[in-house]
Amino acid sequence: MENLRFKIARWIVSHRAQVACVFLIITIGFAIGVPRVDIRTIFADLLPSDDPFVQTFKDHPNFGNPLTITVMVKRSDGGNIYNEDTLKKVWDLTRNIDLIEGVDHDRIVSITTEKANYAEATPMGVEMQPLMGDRIPKGKQELDALQRNVERSPMARTYLVSSDETSTLIRAGFHEHLLDYGHVFDEIQKLAKDAEDGGHTIHVVGQPVLTGWVYLLQEQTYTIFAVTVGLLIIALAFYMRNFAGVVTPVVCSFVAAIWGFGLVGWLKSPIEPLLMVVPLLLVARSFSHCVQYTERYYEVFSELKDRKLASEATLAVMMAPSVFGIITDMVAIMCIGVAPIPAMQRFALFCGFWAFFLIPTGVMLIAVMLSYLPTPKNIDDIIGGDREKGVHGFQKRVLEGVASLITGKRIPKITATIVCIVSIVVIILSRQVEIGNPTEGSNLLWDNSEFNVGVRDVNDHFPGVNSLEIILEAKDPDNVQQRAARTEEAYALTKEILRVALSQEHPAKAARSFSDFMEEGSRLYSGGHPAWLSLDPTDRSVNAAGVAVAFGQNPLNFADVTDFQFQHSAISLFYRDNKQETIERALIAAQAAVDAVGTDHKGITVRMASGTIALQHAMNSVVKRYEWILLGLACLAIFFIASYMYRSFVASLVLLVPVVLANFYLTATMSVLGIGLDINSVMVAVLGVGVGIDYGIYLLSRICEEYHAQGEDWDRAITEALTTTGKAIMFTASIMLIGIMPWYFLSDLKFMADMGLLLSAIMLINMVLALLVLPLIVSVLKPKFVTRTDLMVGEGIDLSWFSEEKTREKEQGVSA
Amino acid sequence: MHIRKYDLNFGRRELLKGIACGAGTGILMPIEKVMAKDMPLTNAYPDELYSIEAQTKGKISVGDYITKANVEHAKHILDPSMYDQIKNAGRRIKIKAPTTDLRQLFNHAYYEAMQRNIAEGRTGKFNADGNVVDPQGNPWGGGVPFISPKTGVEVWANMAMSWGRADANTYAIKQWDFGADGKLEYQYDFQWVELQMQARTDRKVFRGYDKELRRQTVYFTNSADVRGTSFLSNWSVDQRQIPDLYGYLPEFRRVRQFPANQRFEPLIPGATWFLTDPWAAGDPFLTWGNHKIVERKPMLIACSGNFSGTDDNWQPKEQEGNPIFWESEYEMAPDIIVTSCEPVAFPRSPVSKKLVYVDARNSVPCGCVRYDRQGKLWANFEMAFGQFVGGGKDGKRVVMSADGKTPAWSWTYVMIYDHQNKRMSRTHHAKKGVGTESLFQIDEDWLFETYCTQQALQSLGRA
Repeated sequence: MENLRFKIARWIVSHRAQVACVFLIITIGFAIGVPRVDIRTIFADLLPSDDPFVQTFKDHPNFGNPLTITVMVKRSDGGNIYNEDTLKKVWDLTRNIDLIEGVDHDRIVSITTEKANYAEATPMGVEMQPLMGDRIPKGKQELDALQRNVERSPMARTYLVSSDETSTLIRAGFHEHLLDYGHVFDEIQKLAKDAEDGGHTIHVVGQPVLTGWVYLLQEQTYTIFAVTVGLLIIALAFYMRNFAGVVTPVVCSFVAAIWGFGLVGWLKSPIEPLLMVVPLLLVARSFSHCVQYTERYYEVFSELKDRKLASEATLAVMMAPSVFGIITDMVAIMCIGVAPIPAMQRFALFCGFWAFFLIPTGVMLIAVMLSYLPTPKNIDDIIGGDREKGVHGFQKRVLEGVASLITGKRIPKITATIVCIVSIVVIILSRQVEIGNPTEGSNLLWDNSEFNVGVRDVNDHFPGVNSLEIILEAKDPDNVQQRAARTEEAYALTKEILRVALSQEHPAKAARSFSDFMEEGSRLYSGGHPAWLSLDPTDRSVNAAGVAVAFGQNPLNFADVTDFQFQHSAISLFYRDNKQETIERALIAAQAAVDAVGTDHKGITVRMASGTIALQHAMNSVVKRYEWILLGLACLAIFFIASYMYRSFVASLVLLVPVVLANFYLTATMSVLGIGLDINSVMVAVLGVGVGIDYGIYLLSRICEEYHAQGEDWDRAITEALTTTGKAIMFTASIMLIGIMPWYFLSDLKFMADMGLLLSAIMLINMVLALLVLPLIVSVLKPKFVTRTDLMVGEGIDLSWFSEEKTREKEQGVSA
Repeated sequence: MHIRKYDLNFGRRELLKGIACGAGTGILMPIEKVMAKDMPLTNAYPDELYSIEAQTKGKISVGDYITKANVEHAKHILDPSMYDQIKNAGRRIKIKAPTTDLRQLFNHAYYEAMQRNIAEGRTGKFNADGNVVDPQGNPWGGGVPFISPKTGVEVWANMAMSWGRADANTYAIKQWDFGADGKLEYQYDFQWVELQMQARTDRKVFRGYDKELRRQTVYFTNSADVRGTSFLSNWSVDQRQIPDLYGYLPEFRRVRQFPANQRFEPLIPGATWFLTDPWAAGDPFLTWGNHKIVERKPMLIACSGNFSGTDDNWQPKEQEGNPIFWESEYEMAPDIIVTSCEPVAFPRSPVSKKLVYVDARNSVPCGCVRYDRQGKLWANFEMAFGQFVGGGKDGKRVVMSADGKTPAWSWTYVMIYDHQNKRMSRTHHAKKGVGTESLFQIDEDWLFETYCTQQALQSLGRA
C-alpha cells in the first residue's frame, strides 16, 4: 500500500488542516475575481468566425440593420391608418423614440418625419415635400391629402405603409457605443404598451429588441438557476438524509464554482449567458462525483469505523476513477472549443477549467471535509445490505431487474440482439434529422413569443425581416472622388443580379437596392414619369441620380443599402422565413445571379453574402462541418485516456460504444420531436460524451473489482456492480435531470429550454445505455482486462491494511 | 509693482449684475462709447477679464496649450463642446494674448457703419411682427442693430441680420468630413455666397428686392461627383418666414425645391452641420423662440489671430497627431453672452435648443452648441474669426478688405464636431479652391447675376 495514490492520500489527510487553509486562500483569491465577471451576449460571437458569410457580415455590419428597431402600428379594428387617432400614435411614438438614450436622431423615420417625402413636378421644377406637414392632418380633406402623398411616394408605399393601409412602420437606428439594450428595450416596450388599445396593435421588432428580450429573460435564468440548485439540494437531502452527505457536495460544488467564475473574472473573458445551463450541468456533475465519493466513503467507514482512516482509504481508492472521470468531462468540454465560434471557445475555456477544478474540490477537499464532518447515523440505509429500504431499495430492485436481462447464458444474447436491432433503427432514424432549427423570427425565443409573433405580423405586411444580402464591395473605398455605389458598374451589376435572382424558380418575396433609390431620384428629377426610372448606362448619369437622392439627406437614410460613403452597397433579397429549404433556394438563386455576372469587376467585387439567411446558413454549415469532428475528437481523446487507465484498447472500445450510441439516440430523439440539429445540440452531444464515459468508467471499474471479489463470477460481478455503483449512477443521473429538466418547463428562452431538454435527454440516454449496454457488452465479450488485478482505476482495496494500521497506531499511543 | 484697480472677481460680479438689471455691453464704459471714440477695449472691461492667468489661478498662461492634462483648470471658461473635445477627443488649443482693439473684431466698412449709427443715435427696434426696424419703422439699414444687446432676442437679431458683416461675401470653402475612426470620408470644394438685399451698410435695398433680406448660394465644384451642383436660399426680410431653398443638379437640368422646413438634415452627404447651423443663425431668428440670455462671463474664444498660422491658401495647420482638428489659437474675451433659444416653429425638430456663445463686443457667435431633445450635447458649430493679417513669407501678409485699404476681416475656419456620432466636418476659408475663389472686392451685380438666381444656378451647372 505504498503506491503514489496512497502516499498522496495519507499526506492530504494527515495535513488536512493545512490543506483546508490552502483551499481557503485559493478560494479567496478566485473570489476576488468573481465581481469582474462579465456576463453578456455578444451576438456576433455566436457565429462561426471562419465562415465566409460571417466574414462578409463582419466586413459590412451595416447591411441588414443590426442596430435598428422597427415599430409597427397596426389598426386591428378593420380601419386604415389614415385617421387622426392612429396618426397621433405614430407621431407621438416617433417623437418619444427620439427621447430614448442612444438613439441616432438622424435615423428615425416614419410617415410623420420630414425624411419621408414625396415629389411633384411644378412649372418651377421639382418640389419635394414631407408626406405630412408640421402637424397631424385633421379632417377628411387633410387625411385624404396625406393618403395621396403616400401613394405618390413609392418608398413610403413599400416600406412605411402596408399595401392594405392597415399598418405603418416607425424605424429608429441607434448608436452602437451609446446603446444600452436593457434600457432601450424597457423604454420602447413602455411606449408600445402605452400606445396599444382596442383599435391598435403595436409590434416592436429588430435586433436591439431581441437582445432586450434575451436580457430580460436572462434575469429569469438566475431564478431558474436558484430553483434548480434548490431542487438538487433537496434531492440530495432526500437521498442522503444526513448532514455530511448534503453539505459536502454543496460546499465542494460551490468552491469549484467560485474558482471557475473567478478565473474568467481575472481573465476578463465574457461569459455567454445563453449557455448558462452548462455551468448548472457542472454543478450537477460535481454533486454526482461527490455523491459517488461519499457513498464509497460510507462503505469504507462502515468497515473501519474511523473518519480519518476512512477518508484516507476512500481518497486513495477513489482518486484514480474520480480524476479520470472528471478529466473525461473536461476533455469533452474543451473539445467544444474546437468549433470556430468565439462564444463557445470562451465557454469551453470557462467550463473546461471549472470541470478541471472539480479534481481538487471533488477529490481532495471532499476528503478533508469528510474527515472532519460528523458520522451519519443512516450509513446502513445508504450502503445497502439487507436493511436497504425506501428509494435505495427501489433502485436496487430496478437494477436487479436490469441485471437479470444481461446475465445468465442465453438471455444476454437475446438482449444484445434486441439492442442491436433497436440501435440500427435508431441510427437510421437519426440520419433523418433536419439541419438547422428555424423559426420565423428568432430561434432564441418561443414561436409564440411576443417578439416572434411581431416578426410574423411585420412580415405579413412589409418586405420580410429575413434577408439575403449580396454585397457589391468597392475596391477603393477610400477614394473620395468616386463613389462605387453610384457608378454605372454598380448599377448594371445590380440590375443583372436582380434579373437573374428574381427569375429563378422560387424568387424572393421582395428585393431592394440602392439602384431603386437612384432610379426614383432620376424619375423625380426628370418630371415624375415612370419612364424616367431607368438610368442611362453611363457613370455620369448614374452618379447624377445618386447625387440627386443623396443631397439634402443624411447618408444614414440609406444605411440598409449602401454604406455612409456610398462605396459598398447591398442587394437585399427578402424571404419570409429562414428554414433550411428557403435558405437553400435563396442561396441557389443568389449564387446563380453572382455566377452570371462574375465576382471580379473593375471597381467592385461581388461578395456572397450577408443577412439573416446567410448567417443561418453559416450556423447550419458549421454543424455539418463540426458535428463529427467534435464528437470524433472527444472520443479519440477519451479512447487514449481510457486505454491508459485500463491498459487496454478493448476497454476503451467497451466504454465508447454506449457513448457513441447515445449520440445516435439523441439525434433520433430530436428527429422524432421535430427539433433540428444545430450547434447547440452538437454541443450537448459532446458534453454527453463526457458524462456517458464517466458513468462507464465508474461502472466498469466496479465490475473489474467485483469480478475478483465475487470469485471471478461474471454474472455476480455485473449484478453487484449494477446494484452498487449502478445505483449511484442512477441517482446522479436523476439528480442531473432534476437540475436540468426544469429549464425546459420554466425558461421563456427557447434556446435555454432546448438546451435543458437536450441535456436531459442525453443524461437519460447515457444512463440507460451505461446501465444496460456497457454491462451487456462485458457480459457477452467477457474481456480479459477485467480479470487483471493491476488496473489503475480498480476500486478494490484491502481494508485490513488500514485496520492493522489503526491498531498499530493505538498500540503506539498506549506505549507512549 | 502692478496695482490692481479692481479685485479678482469684480468683472464677473458686474457681468452677473448686468444680466439681472438688463445692462448693456461694457462694464467700465459702454461699448458704444468705446466704439464711438475708437478707444481701447481695456476702457470697457477690467484687466482680470482679459487675463487667462487670473481666470485659471495662474495654472495657464498666454502661450500655453490647453490639453487633456490641464483642461480642468479652464473648464469654466470653455463651452461644454470644447471641453469635451479637449478632454475626450484629443484636441488641443493654444492660448494667445487677448485682443483689445475693437476695430480688429470688425470688417472696416461695417465698423464705420456702426460708428455712423452711433453718431446719429440710430439703433434698431422690433416692430409688431418682431422684425428689426430702424427708429422710423423702416426695415433695418445696416450695422449691428443692437450694439449693446440687453436681451436674448436682440443678440439673435444681431447675428441673423448680417452673417458675414459685409454687404456681399463670397468665400472659397474647403471641407473635409471625417468618420468616427478619423478616416476621411468626404471632401468638398464650394463657393459660399452671401448678398444682402437689405440690412446693408449703405442702407439701400439691392435692386429693389424689398421683401428679401439676403440671397445665399452654395455652389459645389469638387469632388467630381458633385461638381456643378448648387443651392440657392432666398431669405425673407420677415424673420418669421423660413427661407425658400432651391437645388440644381446639372445632369437633370432641373431646379428642385427642397422642403422649406427640412432644416435638420445635412445639406451635403457626410457633413455634420445642418442648414440650421451656419453662423449660429442658419434659420431666421423668429422661427426660433424663447430667446434668453443664460449667462455672461469671460471665456476663451477664437475671435482673432488664427490667420497668421495659415499657408498660402489660408489653410490652417492640422493638429499634430490628430488631423481631424485644426491647430487653433484661443484668447480671453471679457464678455461672452451665453444665449439660448428653442425651435418653436419646427415641431418635428430633433433639436431641443441651441446655446450660442456670443462675443458681446461685436455680437459674433464663436460657438453654437446644439442639444438633442434629451438635453444631450449633439454638435458644435465652432467658428474662428480675425483680420486677415500676418503669416506669409515675411510674416507681414495682409489681405485687403472691400475698400482696398484696410485689412479684411472674416471667418478663418469652422469645425463642426458631432459628439454623438464622433464625426467631424472641418472647413476653412480658402484663398482658392477647385474652381472657387474668395473675394473681398466684389462687384455685387456680377455676384447677383452669377450666383444668386435660379437661372444662375443653371448656368453654373453648365459651366
